Formats: sequence, structure tokens, C-alpha cells
Amino acid sequence: MFRKFAGLGGCLTLALLLAAAMPGSVLGASGAATTATTHAITVTAWQAALIAIGYYLANSPWLFGLAFFTLYRPLVAGFFVGLILGDPAQGTLIGAAINIPYLGFISAGGNLPADAGFAGWVGTTVALASGLDATKAIPIAFGLGLLGTIIFYGRMAIDSVFAHWADARAEKADIAGVALMNWLPGQLLLFVISFVPVFLLALNGPSAVQDALNSLPLWTVNGLVIAGGILPAIGIALNMRFIFRGSAIPYFFIGYILMTATHGSLSLVVVAAIGLCLAYLHLSFVRRDAPAPAPARAEAVGRAEAEPSTGVAVSTGAAGGAGAPAEAEPKVRLTRGDLVRSWMLWTFFAHANYNYERLQGTGFAHAMTPIIKRLYTTDDEIRAALKRHLVFFNTEPNFGNVVHGTVIAMEEQRANGAAISDDAINSVKSGLMGPMAGIGDTLSQSTITPILLALGIGIAGGTASGSAVPTLSGATGNPLGAIIYIVLVSIVIVAIGYTAWMAGYARGRSFVTELLKSGTIDRVLIGAGVLGNMVLGALAASFVVVNLAPTVTIAGAQMNLQAAIIDPLFPGALALGLVVMTWWLLRRRVNPLALLAAFLVFSIIAAYPFFGPGQQNSGDYSYQACTSSLLHQYSPCGAPPVPTVVPAAAPSTQPSPASQPSASSQP
Amino acid sequence: MSLRLVRIDDRLIHGQVVAGWLRTIGAERIVIVDDATARDEFLREVLVLAAPQGVPVEVHDVASGAARCSELAAAPESVIVLARSPRTVLALRQAGVPIEVVDLGGMGAGPGRRRLHKTISVSPDEMRELRELEQLGTRVEIQIVADDRPIAFRSLDSGN
Repeated sequence: MFRKFAGLGGCLTLALLLAAAMPGSVLGASGAATTATTHAITVTAWQAALIAIGYYLANSPWLFGLAFFTLYRPLVAGFFVGLILGDPAQGTLIGAAINIPYLGFISAGGNLPADAGFAGWVGTTVALASGLDATKAIPIAFGLGLLGTIIFYGRMAIDSVFAHWADARAEKADIAGVALMNWLPGQLLLFVISFVPVFLLALNGPSAVQDALNSLPLWTVNGLVIAGGILPAIGIALNMRFIFRGSAIPYFFIGYILMTATHGSLSLVVVAAIGLCLAYLHLSFVRRDAPAPAPARAEAVGRAEAEPSTGVAVSTGAAGGAGAPAEAEPKVRLTRGDLVRSWMLWTFFAHANYNYERLQGTGFAHAMTPIIKRLYTTDDEIRAALKRHLVFFNTEPNFGNVVHGTVIAMEEQRANGAAISDDAINSVKSGLMGPMAGIGDTLSQSTITPILLALGIGIAGGTASGSAVPTLSGATGNPLGAIIYIVLVSIVIVAIGYTAWMAGYARGRSFVTELLKSGTIDRVLIGAGVLGNMVLGALAASFVVVNLAPTVTIAGAQMNLQAAIIDPLFPGALALGLVVMTWWLLRRRVNPLALLAAFLVFSIIAAYPFFGPGQQNSGDYSYQACTSSLLHQYSPCGAPPVPTVVPAAAPSTQPSPASQPSASSQP
Repeated sequence: MSLRLVRIDDRLIHGQVVAGWLRTIGAERIVIVDDATARDEFLREVLVLAAPQGVPVEVHDVASGAARCSELAAAPESVIVLARSPRTVLALRQAGVPIEVVDLGGMGAGPGRRRLHKTISVSPDEMRELRELEQLGTRVEIQIVADDRPIAFRSLDSGN
């Protein structure tokens, strides 16, 4: 299945990359290919290497587990590529644009719909170095993102082998060896398969893309710009699947209207502040879909309670007790340092050897090494403990840390003589990892990250001004968008991970049930839904662009429907309609990738000059050129030019060369 | 709408199910059928509490699960049924629950298990049970997340 997507992406990008003659483009953008309107940057080998290292880091464990939330996101990648290539503002803007189709991006349980990191790092490099504007970068980068999944899936398959190397070390009770096998071979492999393709693409991609674009007819390039305004609807609608529900729906429209009514002059920070206030009011006064303390659920529990409760080996007190077993002085106690070290190892290395066979299995064992070292002394005990924790494991690596905390408490009690069987530990691990991942992914991947990303993207590209509906092409990037996002997401994610870990250890299973029963998580999700809808609506207003080109004649007057009627009544109504339609189609289970392909094809067709001669060159903004296609790339075409009185004066001056060539060439 | 999705997943409820399937197909109820989970009071409670608000979760053993699934299959509600193993689904099928398609969503690797596709591994016993399900007229498909296209189990079953 993924091969098909990757193949599609491969065709898309390779066609663009290879269409141009390769020999001419050995080192970066060649000067000859530069058109008058773009200012290209030549990517040096050093810069390409830095970019390739950046992409590797985005998938690596070295950034305290935060790479997936920061460097992996195109907004952040764009900022750093911009820094490397010397234009952080434009880089951030391009990254922000590339990020929008990935707003609803989720990777769970070893499944990756597209490689957003690849799209961000390579896409920004290609666009920035070849002087493309941000809108054209969106469709090109999306193709790259599909291509990038090859790297992820290749790694997932090969890393399984290293899990068996870890098994062999566990057999020898070699704690350090298990830890080493979790990160060293997997990271060496990842470095090679990440660095090489990105380095080559960063070095050669820009000139190839530029040559390809130069050899395409002008209208297809306009089609790419139109697609850059339409494809963001998919990213926004994918994200709407999570939060555009129930009584939170109106906030999306409030966000949208706030933005269009102020002609895009509101900062996204202001929209978010209003969103926070409304979220508080909503939680206090509306909250119609709030959890009634579950009569339906009680019924469900009651039904199951009819079953005989044979109770697996754990007695209720075993792992749930707050603190140490009271009976005797414990033989071995874990120190706070052990717990923190274990948490750090997990936070760093949970995904260092992510693979199909065990997913985070070796990462879990790696995190347990300080605990095992403290609690167990004989080789037999160590071997058993290592093997116990090398099995299949997968959860959300932050909120899911409740599982680790709970398991560590059980291990401690077991080492002190409590009757806790392997089965008891396994059943807590395998029973809790799923539900905690469900909550964790909902929190981190489909709520916190997209909202903060939307905020960052809005700030990064939010300085557009002038037109009735702000457009990306008129914007100058703002690196603050990326920086604010990095700071906020890092704080929130680390705070959740640490709290869950320590609370899981201190209060064990009772923490899980108490937290879930308290309704805190539901409240957070409802509030975040309000805020998220506001920000997403505002973002849709800034980044989804639909411009009708042709004019119609009504009552003798030639006019553009959008410019003359729709936008004055409800600015941006067409784009809003497109977003809602996209959301509706996704809900009807239309495949997002099929939708993407359809939108791309539609955009190109909509740029074809059906109704006139079309643009003569990229600087041709004449009325005829504008109204020749179905959609226009930059703005709805205005009224026809008023016939001027100049013609009388014109013949007296020099005849323009354009007006007479055929006449003068006649013998 | 009958049983909208019958899924074999050894993690039962997790991110792919909650953030993916549930939203995509608009399910209104989750039914978990698993003997071990039904016996474990703590896990039962966690599963019931961990589902998103507004989506009731029921945990059943195979015996009560078969009756409940048959009942729900006739009701208009859109339901997701989750089981840990092919054996459970086979038991449901043999008890007369109408199951058109069973989805293999997550079956972890381990000693003696063969990888069929990505995160889907099977033991020889499970292989037999899946084939038996196909013989009973239930299509077996691999579709890890809702946006994937389903892969027919038959196309991956080399027959050994």
C-alpha cells in the first residue's frame, strides 16, 4: 500500500527533478537558468550537508525526544533551512506553507501517512534555493513527503534485526549491551539512509526543479500556485476531523470571520487569546457535550461485572499503593535519581530503534536499565528482567509514561519480595499501553501539536496585508512563528511526560483511574477544542485561497462575481465553502490522498486559459490574461479596464514595437 | 448500521483506534470481547474510562460478547468490535454473530510468529483460525488505519 503512495510521490518529484537535463546542474542552481523574477541561492556542499544532518536529527533521539514535535515539523525545518541558507524569514514562510497540509498529521503505531519531515527539509531547500514562492512549494513538497516514507518504512523493517541483537545481550545479562543495541545500530542505519538522499536532493534539487519549472508552460506553473491555495484546505479539514464537533463548531467560524473581517490584520496571537477566553466561558457556561458522570458507562461496567472476577496475580494493593509496602523495611529502594535517569533514557531513546516487530520494545528495556541495575543483583534476575521488558511495547511516549511509572513501582515491590508474577507485570503493560496511547495521541498529536502549529504557522505567515483576503504570496515570513512554536510545544510535552512518569510511580494504577474519573482530560480536550477551532478557522482564512477569474455580464455590466458580489457580502466565502466541503468529503471517507490528487489536477486545469489568450509572460497582469482561466492565482480579477482617452495621443509618440511588427516586416 | 468494524488488535483501544478509526467511521459504541480483560477489574475500568467522551465502551467475555454482538448487529447503531485474537472472532462467528469482514489491525511479533505485513504477525494457530474464518464466509483483511486501502489476507497467505 505505502509503496503505491511512495511511488506516486516518487513520480511527482522525480518527474520534476529529472525533467531538466542533469549534466548542467551538478552544483546547485545554475545562474543561466535563473529567470528575471526569481533570486536563486546556490546551495554549497556544506549547506547541503547541514540540511541533511538536520533531517537526520529530526528523526533521531538526540533532542530529548522533542525532535518529532519540533525539527520534524516543516514550520521548524523551514526556519532552520532558512538559517542555513541565509534567509530565515523566507525559510520560515515556506516551511509554514509546506506544513499546512500536514496539520492533521498523525503517526501512531508504526504507521506514517507521509514524511512531513522530508517534505519540510527538502521542500524548503528546493523552494528557497530556486526562488519559488511559498505557494508553489506546497504541491512540490507534498510529493516529496510521500517519497520520504520509503526511508521510514525501510528503517522500521531493518531495525527488527537489531531487536534480536538486544535479545542476545539480554541472554548474557549484559545491561549495557541491551542499551547499546537500542541506539547504536539503529542510529547508524538511520543516519546513512537519511543523510545520503537529503544531501543529494539539497545539492541538485533546486536547479533541477527550477529548470523543470522553466520548461513548463506558464499556465501550469500558475496551476501550482492555485494548488498552493487549495491544498491547505485538506490539511485544515484533516485536523477538523478531530475538533470540528458538537458545540465547538461555531468557534471555527468565529475564528474565520474574525480574520477576514479584519482583512487579516489580526495577529494569530490575538485570535488565540480570544480563543482562550472563549474556551473558559464555554467550559463555565456551555459545555453541552460535557461528560455526564457516565450512566452509560456504569451500565457497561455492570454488564461485565457479571463475570466471575478471578483476579490475576496482582492483589489490589500491590501496585496501587501510594508509596512503599508498609509491612517491612524494604531491601532495595529506588532513588529519585534512578527514576529521573530512567525517564530521561526513555524520553531520549524510546524511538531510537523503532521497528515493526517490537515497536518501542527495545526502547522500554533501555529505559529500565537504571531500575534493573538498582533492583537486581544476580545474573538470573537481571536476565529475566531484561527479557521481560524486551517484548513488544508501544504507547504514546509522553502521557503513556504512566505505564512506565506503574511498572517501575511493581518491579520495586517485586524486588522487595512481593508476590508479583511476570504475568502481572505483562498484563499491566499490555493492558495499559493501548488505552494510554489512545488518550496520549488524542492529547499530544491531535490536539496540542496542531493547535500550537496552527498558531506558529499563523504567526510565521501572518504579515500579509493589502488585499481583501490575505494571501500567502504577499506575505513576508516571520521566524518568531517557528521559535514560539518550538518553545511552547517543548514545555508542554516535557511537562506531560515527566508528570505522568512520576505520578504513575507514586500512585500507580489508582492514579490512572482517578485521573480518568476526574474528567480533567475531558475538560482539557473540550477547552482545547474551542481554542483549536478558533485558531484553525483563522488559519483557514489566511491560507486557503480561491480566486474566480472569469467575468460575467449582469444587466449589461461586466463583473467578477467574487469581487463584485460574494466578497463584499461575506469575505472569503468561497474559500470557507471549499474547506467545509473538504471536511465533508473526508467524513464521507474519501481518501485524503485521492482528494489531494483530485485537487491538484483541478488546480492545473483551472489555470488553463480556456477563455482567452492567457498570460504572455510571467509579468503579464493584463485584464485579458487574468480572465482567461477558471481560477486566478493571486486575486479575483477586477472590473474590466475603463477605456482611456489616451489613444488620441498614442500615435504621435514612438510606435510601440509590439504593435507593429507584422506591418513593418512586410516587404 | 450493524457491526461497522470488527478488528483484531492486541492493544485493543489505542491511538489508531481512538484518533483514527473512531472519527473516520463515526462509530458510536465500542465493544471489547476478550476473556482475560473481562476478568481483570482494573483493565476493564481503564478501557471504559479511556474511550473518548460520548462513546460508551463495553467489555465482555466471549460468551456474553456473542449474544451482545448479535443483538448490536441488528441495531442501527454504528459499532466497533475489538478482540485480541483470531480465536475470539472465530468463536463469535461460530456462535452466529454475522461478521462480514474482520480487520487485522495490530498483531505483535514474538517467538514462533511470522510477519505477514508491517505490524501484523501471526502464529501457526492463528493462521489456521483465520483460514477457518474465511471458510465460514468472513473476509479477512489487513487495514491498520482507516486511510489505508485494505489488503486481502488471502493474497498474503502462502499456504504453509
